[in-house]
Amino acid sequence: MLRVAVRMLLGDRAKYVGLLFGISFTSFLVTYAGSYLAGFMTRGFALVAENPSIDVWVMDPAIESTQLTTDIPDSALSRVRSVKGVRYAMPLALTTVNARFPNGRFQSFQLIAVDEASLCGLPPLRDGVSPAVMRTPDAVVVDPGGTSGKLQTPSLAADQWPYGPPRLSGPTRSLQAGDELRVNEHRVVVRGRVEALPRYPPEPLMYTTLANATRMLPPRPHLLTFVVARAAPGVSPRKLARRIEAQTGLKARSSDDFKRDTVDWLFVNSEDVGDIGSMVSIAMLVGLGMTGVLLYMFTTDSLKQYAVLKAMGADSRLLLTMVFVQSGLCALLGTGLGLGMCAVVGQIAMVEFDFPFRMMWFTPLIAAMLVIFVALVAAAVSARPVLKLEPGVVFAGR
Amino acid sequence: MALRGVDLDVRYGELLMIVGPSGCGKTTLVSVIAGVLDRDGGHCEVLGRDFQQMDEKARARFRRGSLGFVFQLFNLLPALNAIENVSVPLLIAGVDREQAERRAEEALRAVDLGERLRALPATLSGGQQQRIAVARALVHHPSLIVCDEPTSNLDHVTGQMLMDLLRGVARSPDRALVVVTHDPRIFGFADRIARMDDGRIVEVVDGGQTETRP
Repeated sequence: MLRVAVRMLLGDRAKYVGLLFGISFTSFLVTYAGSYLAGFMTRGFALVAENPSIDVWVMDPAIESTQLTTDIPDSALSRVRSVKGVRYAMPLALTTVNARFPNGRFQSFQLIAVDEASLCGLPPLRDGVSPAVMRTPDAVVVDPGGTSGKLQTPSLAADQWPYGPPRLSGPTRSLQAGDELRVNEHRVVVRGRVEALPRYPPEPLMYTTLANATRMLPPRPHLLTFVVARAAPGVSPRKLARRIEAQTGLKARSSDDFKRDTVDWLFVNSEDVGDIGSMVSIAMLVGLGMTGVLLYMFTTDSLKQYAVLKAMGADSRLLLTMVFVQSGLCALLGTGLGLGMCAVVGQIAMVEFDFPFRMMWFTPLIAAMLVIFVALVAAAVSARPVLKLEPGVVFAGR
Repeated sequence: MALRGVDLDVRYGELLMIVGPSGCGKTTLVSVIAGVLDRDGGHCEVLGRDFQQMDEKARARFRRGSLGFVFQLFNLLPALNAIENVSVPLLIAGVDREQAERRAEEALRAVDLGERLRALPATLSGGQQQRIAVARALVHHPSLIVCDEPTSNLDHVTGQMLMDLLRGVARSPDRALVVVTHDPRIFGFADRIARMDDGRIVEVVDGGQTETRP
């Protein structure tokens, strides 16, 4: 009889396709929205993610995420290096600078200054450029950091300084090696592009060495934002972080914990996350509501057929099983289609449009569980009229 | 419609027609006989069993084993083809699909639909659909077949052919047929006719002999 239930479902082609479309769309929407949120979150801790060789991040005790930072004394570097279990520790500085382009336009960048000797914290350079260029005076490398059109510099010599007022409407091209910018009235030379991860919120990135950063930034009491450390073999990052905290009084987090802190911080503090969360919730409610109503309608539309089966001797258990099989099959097929669609669309969006899409292992699982849950609830709700059904309604006079 | 003082026996081997105007209680009576409607009072035994003494599960079991149905609107499952529709009572009874379809095929051949085994109901005429319904009512060899207005959706000729079929295929010494109808053109196929009015059996015509109830 389960086959009969499936045939009943497939037989009503229009309703079946509608049902599948509704469930697929819901599953797609829920997974896509969840993956979009996960994509944003991932970009939130991109600084940590793009440095897989770093085990522990040491920072001011008040820092809760990569999004809001303050500086620590330069002496922190030596204190961290003195902790047992640290294989090496390097300085890393973060700040925001305004850079002026040759046509007078200015653009804010996140400046990331790394240790000159080790270049620890510098992502790989594009186009085969040697990292050694970083050690030349005033050298910077740049990346859009998830933005588009922010690294455009004038292409015509006539639009470049020092020829009069800003010329913002002239033709432009992307920054490339050899281009010059001004940061705090200091000349910096772009030595290439870097393969950094896109950020959330999106912001152009400028990498330089601490020595160059000292030259281009105004005097400040401290320059360091983080001391980044690598654990010695056999020492777990979390254990090392606890040891550094105990010995230095600074906050130390393993990379995984720091990522998690950042996600938690974003959930609490970012208004964008709240907006995305609301959109996701509404999308889920609408989609799931639609799925429930469609499944309910399908069952109630088939009541006459159930009455015939009941008159012929099908008991309530059999009819219930049939209803649940129909709902379950729709939910499974619809969820599968939706997830497949989401994976394809997400991949295209990510590769072609640099969209923040990241399908975590649990996102499709949660979406599938939600859709299947709604399908079962809809089946349970629509089972009531089936159970209450009087088989006598199949007789013409009733 | 309430039934009042109905006193009626249906015998093995006979085709009994219950006739009467609309609203006289024919459907109520046949619903009670088929065990799909509870009676308020009185006594009704079907094949030696009283539905009132059975729970819902036992009634369903009894219906699936002992009763066959032919409905006015055929009530075939539109998504299933002829052979699948006919095998439904066997599947409900737990017979495996292969065997159920083999027996369904035999039943369809018996009602002369051997050429349309895989046809969907929507592609068949009303007469053919009703013949499938007859095959479905017969496939599990029930002892009682209840037909509710089986010809009222068919033209005269097709209705006569269907009744011929019912008499020829469905009637047997170990089976009773109860046909509810208000179509006087098929009265001639009955062994007995019970005429109802206002919830009562007012007369029973038995092989040309009329028995009038007080």
